[in-house]
Amino acid sequence: MTKKEKKSFNQSLAEWKLFIYNPTTGEFLGRTAKSWGLILLFYLVFYGFLAALFSFTMWAMLQTLNDEVPKYRDQIPSPGLTVFPKPLTALEYSFTVSDPESYQGYIEDLKKFLKPYNLEEQKNLTACPDGALFEQKGPVYGACQFPLALLQACSGVDDPEFGYSRGHPCVLVKMNRIIGLKPQGEPRIECTSKTENTAALLTYPPNGLIDLKYFPYYGKKLHVSYLQPLVAVQVSFNATSSTVNEVTVECKIDGSPNLKNEDDRDKFLGRVVFKVTARA
Amino acid sequence: MAKKTLEIYSVELSGMKDIEQTDKGNGKEKYRGLKNCFEPKKNHRKEELTKELDLDDHKLSIKELEKKYGTNIITGLSSAQAAELLARNGPNALTPPKETPEIIKFFKQMVGGFSILLWIGAILCWIAYGIQYSMNTSSSLDNVYLGCVLALVIILTGIFAYYQEAKSTNIMATFNKMIPQQALVIRDSEKKTIPAEQLVVGDIVEIRGGDQIPADIRLLSVQGCKVDNSSLTGESEPQPRSSEFTHDSPLETKNIGFYSTTCLEGTATGMVINTGDRTIIGQIASLASGVGNEKTPIAIEIQHFVHIVAGVAVSIGILFFITAVSLKYQVLDSIIFLIGIIVANVPEGLLATVTVTLSLTAKRMAKKNCLVKNLEAVETLGSTSIICSDKTGTLTQNRMTVAHLWFDNQIFIADTSEDNSNQVFDQSSGTWASLSKIITLCNRAEFRPGQENVPIMKRVVAGDASETALLKFSEVILGDVMEIRKRNHKVAEIPFNSTNKFQLSIHKTDDPNDKRFLMVMKGAPERILEKCSTIMVNGQEQPLDKNTAEAFHTAYMELGGQGERVLGFCHLYLPADEFPETYTFDVDTMNFPTSNFCFVGLLSMIDPPRSTVPDAVTKCRSAGIKVIMVTGDHPITAKAIAKSVGIISANSETVEDIAKRLHIAVEQVNKRDAKAAVVTGMELKDMSPEQLDELLTNYPEIVFARTSPQQKLIIVEGCQMQNAVVAVTGDGVNDSPALKKADIGIAMGITGSDAAKNAADMILLDDNFASIVTGVEEGRLIFDNLKKTIAYTLTKNIAELCPFLIYITVGLPLPIGTITILFIDLGTDIIPSIALAYEKAESDIMNRKPRHKKKDRLVNEQLAMYSYLHIGLMQAVGAFVVYFTVYAQEGFKPSALINIRVEWENSNVNDLEDSYGQQWTWYQRKYLEWMGYTAFFVGIMVQQIADLIIRKTRRNSIFQQGLFRNKVIWVGIASQIIIALILSYGLGSVTALSFTMLRPQYWFVAVPFAILIWVYDEVRKLFIRLYPGSWWDKNMYY
Repeated sequence: MTKKEKKSFNQSLAEWKLFIYNPTTGEFLGRTAKSWGLILLFYLVFYGFLAALFSFTMWAMLQTLNDEVPKYRDQIPSPGLTVFPKPLTALEYSFTVSDPESYQGYIEDLKKFLKPYNLEEQKNLTACPDGALFEQKGPVYGACQFPLALLQACSGVDDPEFGYSRGHPCVLVKMNRIIGLKPQGEPRIECTSKTENTAALLTYPPNGLIDLKYFPYYGKKLHVSYLQPLVAVQVSFNATSSTVNEVTVECKIDGSPNLKNEDDRDKFLGRVVFKVTARA
Repeated sequence: MAKKTLEIYSVELSGMKDIEQTDKGNGKEKYRGLKNCFEPKKNHRKEELTKELDLDDHKLSIKELEKKYGTNIITGLSSAQAAELLARNGPNALTPPKETPEIIKFFKQMVGGFSILLWIGAILCWIAYGIQYSMNTSSSLDNVYLGCVLALVIILTGIFAYYQEAKSTNIMATFNKMIPQQALVIRDSEKKTIPAEQLVVGDIVEIRGGDQIPADIRLLSVQGCKVDNSSLTGESEPQPRSSEFTHDSPLETKNIGFYSTTCLEGTATGMVINTGDRTIIGQIASLASGVGNEKTPIAIEIQHFVHIVAGVAVSIGILFFITAVSLKYQVLDSIIFLIGIIVANVPEGLLATVTVTLSLTAKRMAKKNCLVKNLEAVETLGSTSIICSDKTGTLTQNRMTVAHLWFDNQIFIADTSEDNSNQVFDQSSGTWASLSKIITLCNRAEFRPGQENVPIMKRVVAGDASETALLKFSEVILGDVMEIRKRNHKVAEIPFNSTNKFQLSIHKTDDPNDKRFLMVMKGAPERILEKCSTIMVNGQEQPLDKNTAEAFHTAYMELGGQGERVLGFCHLYLPADEFPETYTFDVDTMNFPTSNFCFVGLLSMIDPPRSTVPDAVTKCRSAGIKVIMVTGDHPITAKAIAKSVGIISANSETVEDIAKRLHIAVEQVNKRDAKAAVVTGMELKDMSPEQLDELLTNYPEIVFARTSPQQKLIIVEGCQMQNAVVAVTGDGVNDSPALKKADIGIAMGITGSDAAKNAADMILLDDNFASIVTGVEEGRLIFDNLKKTIAYTLTKNIAELCPFLIYITVGLPLPIGTITILFIDLGTDIIPSIALAYEKAESDIMNRKPRHKKKDRLVNEQLAMYSYLHIGLMQAVGAFVVYFTVYAQEGFKPSALINIRVEWENSNVNDLEDSYGQQWTWYQRKYLEWMGYTAFFVGIMVQQIADLIIRKTRRNSIFQQGLFRNKVIWVGIASQIIIALILSYGLGSVTALSFTMLRPQYWFVAVPFAILIWVYDEVRKLFIRLYPGSWWDKNMYY
C-alpha cells in the first residue's frame, strides 16, 4: 500500500511538473504560449470593455447628480449632536486639574475647532438679523457671523484654557449640518446632569439657544464659509474639595418640534451624552 | 483464445451434424443433446469451480456419505446429534448483509463531498468570531449566524436526503424472505416437519414439487424431479435431477439440489450437505457483501467540484490576505478577511439544490418504474458506457414459449411477445389441424382452476415448462383446450420419461362418425422420426423419403442452432377393425403399435426475449452504450437471444461464423473481420487481464456465456479498468456480486431475487429493460442540468465576493453583508436553480456518446472561468453601479467613499461629512449601508434573472430552446422577484435582517447589465455554433 502511494506521489509530482511546463507541446500551465497570448488578449479586451462600460455608466449616473444639493436627503431628516473636543475613545473627558499635560490635547482641539470662528475669519460674513431663518435665493449665498463672544467663558478669549485649569471644563456641542434643514420653534441645547447634584451646568449662549439665522444650510459648495452655531457647556463641580469629580451630562435639542431628540437606535440623534471626570 | 474457441465450436458444429448421435441418454430433447456436446469441454471448469466451491459430496457413494456425516438414510439423525450439530454449525440461515445502522446512514448524509465544504465554512465562521470576540467583545454576531445557517443547511439537506433514500429502501424486502419456512426431515426414524433454520448437515429431507430446497442437499432418490436453478446459474430451463453423479462440477452434476432453488415437480429425498452461509448461495451472497460499493460518478464529480471551489477560495483568500497585510491591516484582521473570503466562496445553496434536483429526477424515474435506492445513482445511468446484462429474466421473459413451428416443409414463426396474442402464421393447412390436435391432446399440463378472467399468458399452470408453453400456445389459438380434451376422451397414456423420451396418449376422436382411436405422440424429434414411416404434407400423408428426412434435419438443425428446444409431433389413427371401441389399452404391455406413425411437425420453444428489449438495445447503441450479455446459460442459447435482441446485430459475425461461412479453420479468420464474440466462462478463465482488455476493446458486440458469479465480477472489473462506467442488470442471486461491483447495479423488481435487489442501486419495478433507456436519458439530462445549476450558482458567488475584496482594498463601506448574501444563496436563488432541473435537453441526448469519465467533467475549467470571470464579474460591475448610485444620490459620491471605511465604521464618529458638507451620525450611516446592501442585493437579483435565462442552454440560442417551454423557470423568476420585494418592502423595518426599503427606480439600474449579460451569452453561443472546434468553442463552451 505504501509503495503504491509513494509511486502515485511520484507520479503526481511528475504530472505537476508536466503541467507546469510540458516540453513536448511547449505548454506552460496547460496552455501554449499562443494560447496564453490569446486568452490574455481576450481578457484584456473583455475587461477593457467592462471597465469602459463601468466608467460610462458611472459617468452617466454622476450626470444625474446635482453638484450643490444631493438628490435625496431622506436618510438624514434630523440632525445628530456631537461634542468637542473629540474624545479619543468613548465620550469621556478625563483630566487632572493640576496637570496641564492631561488637558493639553482638549485645549488644542478646541482651539483648532474654533479657529474659523475668529473675528478675523468672520469679517466677511453677514451680520444676520436674529430670530429668523436666513433664507437666500442665491446665486451667492452668504453665511451669518457667529460671534465667539456668544460662548462667553468658553470662547477661549478670556480663558485660553477653557476652564480646564480651574476645574470648570468647557465642552462644545454642535448640531450636524443638514442641507435645507429649517428648525421650527426656538431650538436650543438643553443640558442636564444625569448624576445628582454633583455639578452645575452653564450653557452659553444663555439657555443654549441656537439662533434660527444659521438655517437653512445650503451645502458645501454654495454656502462656502458657513459657520455652524455652537453651544458651550461649562461644568462646575459643586464639591471642589473632593479629589475626583465625575458627572454624566446629557445634552438634547429642545424647543423645536421638527428636530428629534429621542431615538432608540440612534443615540446621537438630537442628543449626546458625555462624561467628565476631573481630578484635583 | 482462438484455438480454444475452435475446439469448442467444432464440437458444436459436429454436434449439429451428428444430430442423431448426440442423444446420449441424459438429455430430454434435442437442445439438451446439443448442450451435452459441451460437457467434455466443461470439465475444464472443474478446477475453477472446485477452487470456487469446495464440494465433492456429489462424487461420494451413499455409504461414504453416511459415514462422512454420521447419519443413516433410513433413520436420519438422532435428535441429540442434530441438536449438537445445530449448536456447532449454527442455524441454517443466511447471515443477513451487514445493515448499516440508521444513525450511521443518517450521519453519512451529512459528511459527503459537499457537506464537508459547508462544515469547513461553518467552522471557519466560528473561528473567525472567536478571533473577533477576543479582540472586541461587542463584535457583530454575523459570523456566528452564518456558521449556524451553514450547519443548519447541512443538517436539513441531510435529513431530506436521508428521508428520500429511506423511502426507497423501505420498498425493498430483505434476504429473509428467501428462506423456506418448513422442511420435512427424517429424524429418529420419524418424519417430522421442522423449521428449515434447524436443519443440520446429515439430515435427510424430503422435497416435493413447489418446495424451495431448504439447504444444499445431495439427492439420494429422485422421482421425476426438476429444479429451477435460474436464480443461481442463469439457466432458464428446468434442470432434471437424479441421484447419479453425472459431472465433476458440483454446479453441473444432477445429484445436488441447491439451497433456495425451487423444486418444480416430482419428489426427491436428499441428505443435507451444507447449511446456512456454507451453501453455494450463501457463498455467493457473502461474495456480494465482500464487494465494496463503488463511488458514484456524480459523487466523484462533486468531489472534483469541491476541489475547484476550495482551490479558488483558498487562492483568492491567500492573495487578499497578503494584500491586506501589505495594506497595513492587523494580522488578526487579515485572518478574519481570509476566513471571510473562503466562506464567501462556499455555495451555501448548492447542496440543497443538488439534493432536491436529484430527488426530483429520482421521483420522475420512479414514475417510469425505475426505483432509485441511492440518490446519487440517478445520474450514473447517464454516464454509463457499458451495460452488462444478464440474460434470463432480464432480457428474456424467463418462461418457455413456442417460438417456431415446422410443418409442410416450412418454418413458421410464432408470436413470442408477452401476450402471445398475435399468431399470424398460416393456420389453413390440414397439417396444422392435425398438429394442433396433437399439441392439445398430448399434454398433461392443466390450468389451475378459477383463472377464467386472467389473461392466458399469466395463468398459473400445473405442469412442466414445455408443456405449459404448449398448453398456453394452444389455448391462445384454439380456445378452450380443456373442452377439446373432454371431447377427445383420453383412454390411455404413457407419460414422458427420460428413457423412452416420448409421451404418448390414445384418445377417442370427437368425430362421432369416426370410430378409430387417435394415438398422439410427442418427444425428442429424432426419436419421434424413428417411429414414423409417413409424413403429413398439406394435410396429406406421404411416405417418409430421404428428401423429407433431409428437410426435417435441416429444420431441426436450424431451430436447434437458434438455441431453441425442439419437440417432434406425430400421430396414428388406429384401424377400427383391429382396435374396436371396446379395446382396452394396456400401457405396461404396450398392446398397441409404437411405430409407423405419421410425422406431423416440429415445434420449438425458447425463453423469448421481452418484446421491449430489442428497441431498448438499439437505443442504448445509438446512445453510444455498449451492451454486453453476461449469462450463466449456454452459449448457443445466449447467442440466439443476443441475436434476437440485437446485442449481436443482424449483420455481424463471430470468428466462428466467418469460419463456418468460408469453410476455413477458425485460426485462418482475420479476427478484425469479426465484430461479435461469444466467450464462455472456461475461455474467460484462461484469459489474462490483458487479453480480457483486448477482447473488450476489440469487439463491439460480446456475449459471455456459462459464466460463474465470480467471472461476472471479473468482467465488470475488466470494463471498469477501461474507465468505463458500468451498469449491470440482473435478477438472480448469481448476479448480486456483479450488481454490487458495478457503478450502478440494476435489479429486476418482479422477478428479481432479494439478494439482487439488495445489491442493486436501482430497481426496475416493471422488469422492463426499456426503463433503462429512460434512466439513461434522465441521467444524462440531470448531468447537463446540474451543470447549468452549478454554473448559475457559481456566477453570483463572484458578485458576492467582489464587494468584500473591494471593501478590504479600497476601503468602501461594505457593499453587501453576510446575512444579505445568505438571503440570495438560500432565498432568491434556490427555486430558480431547482427550476433548471426541469429544463429540456438541448439536442437529442440519446444520440451522443456517453461522457468520458475523466474528460467530460461536471464542472470544468471553462465553466468555472465563464461563471467567475465573465458573467460573475459583469454582475459585480452591475451591482456596484446600483450601490454607487444609491450612495451618490444620498450624498456620498464615489470619490468620497474611497478609504472611508475606518471612520465609517467607527461608532464614535457621529459627524462624518458627505460630499455635500452634510454630517451623518453613525446610525444614519449604518442605515445607509443597509440600503447599500439592499441595492447590491437587488442588483445581483436582477442580473441573476438574466443569468437564469442564459443558463437554460449551453450551446443553443434561448430562442431555439424556447423561452417559455420550461414554465418552472418563470416560477423561479417570479419567486426571485417576490422574495426580493418582500425582503425590501415587507421586512425592510426589521433591523436584524439589514434590509431597507429601496426606491423603485433602483430596481431598474442593473437592468441594462442584465440585458448585456443575455446579449453577451447569445453571442458566445452563436460563435460556438458557428465555429465548432475553434478557439472560442474550446474556451467558451462549458
